[in-house]
Amino acid sequence: MDTVAIIEKSIAFVFAFVVGGTTTIQLRNDWHSTGLDNVVTKILLGLMAFGCVLVILATLGVLGGG
Amino acid sequence: MAVSALNATHEAIVARYDDVDPVYGEQREHRLLGFVLFLVSDVILFSAFVFAYLYLRNSVPNWPPINKDGVQLPRFDVALATVNSVVLFGSGATMHFAMESWKKLDKAAFNMWILATIILGIGFLSGQAFEYHEAQITWAGSTMGASFFTLTGMHGFHVFVGVIYLIVLFIQANKGVYTGSKYFGLTAGTLYWHFVDVIWVALFYLFYLM
Repeated sequence: MDTVAIIEKSIAFVFAFVVGGTTTIQLRNDWHSTGLDNVVTKILLGLMAFGCVLVILATLGVLGGG
Repeated sequence: MAVSALNATHEAIVARYDDVDPVYGEQREHRLLGFVLFLVSDVILFSAFVFAYLYLRNSVPNWPPINKDGVQLPRFDVALATVNSVVLFGSGATMHFAMESWKKLDKAAFNMWILATIILGIGFLSGQAFEYHEAQITWAGSTMGASFFTLTGMHGFHVFVGVIYLIVLFIQANKGVYTGSKYFGLTAGTLYWHFVDVIWVALFYLFYLM
């Protein structure tokens, strides 16, 4: 793996933790909110947090063939 | 004592939301339902292209396939895609903060977060443009290229429209179009932006990780 890819993956790894953590906290804060917009937002935030998990697994080489 | 406290709370709420309007509340629910149905229709649109991609992918013995000139195509650049993904997911978080700031009537924070979202959205589009420039495949050369450019291009167009939408919302919010209780445009903008983030989760997995 070349140096640029290592730098890119390192940046992505750190920020995926930050964004994923922030999203999860926001999801927890909004957990009891009701209404269609809040329910849709919670689903979308949950999927976004899942996206951050995918990024972390990709940067670690677990997914995407390293 | 308790009644006066309740009255004080009610007055505070009325002062905060000085334009409480029951008719608006009903209209808002209809608009919201319409907007969510629009997002559902967009999910169906993307699903059609995703299933076409999966069908094409399973029609060849190996993936990445061999192009029409007999050359084995490379996998997509996962490292660049992870950075681009984090930029887009980060913009989803900042948009959520912008919406929360508006609900708390903190306009300065709202402006800061929505501008951050716009900048990150432009950053994602720039990353995608760079990836297109560096890509070793073409739209017409293989089913892989056709699927990749069609789906990511369609998503990129949605992000581009979203950036324009956010700029319009930023201008409208600062011109006083939205108030403490009437801000459906901002709610719709937030939902739309989260939606383009989530579509990218699927595309990121399908093209770079699968």
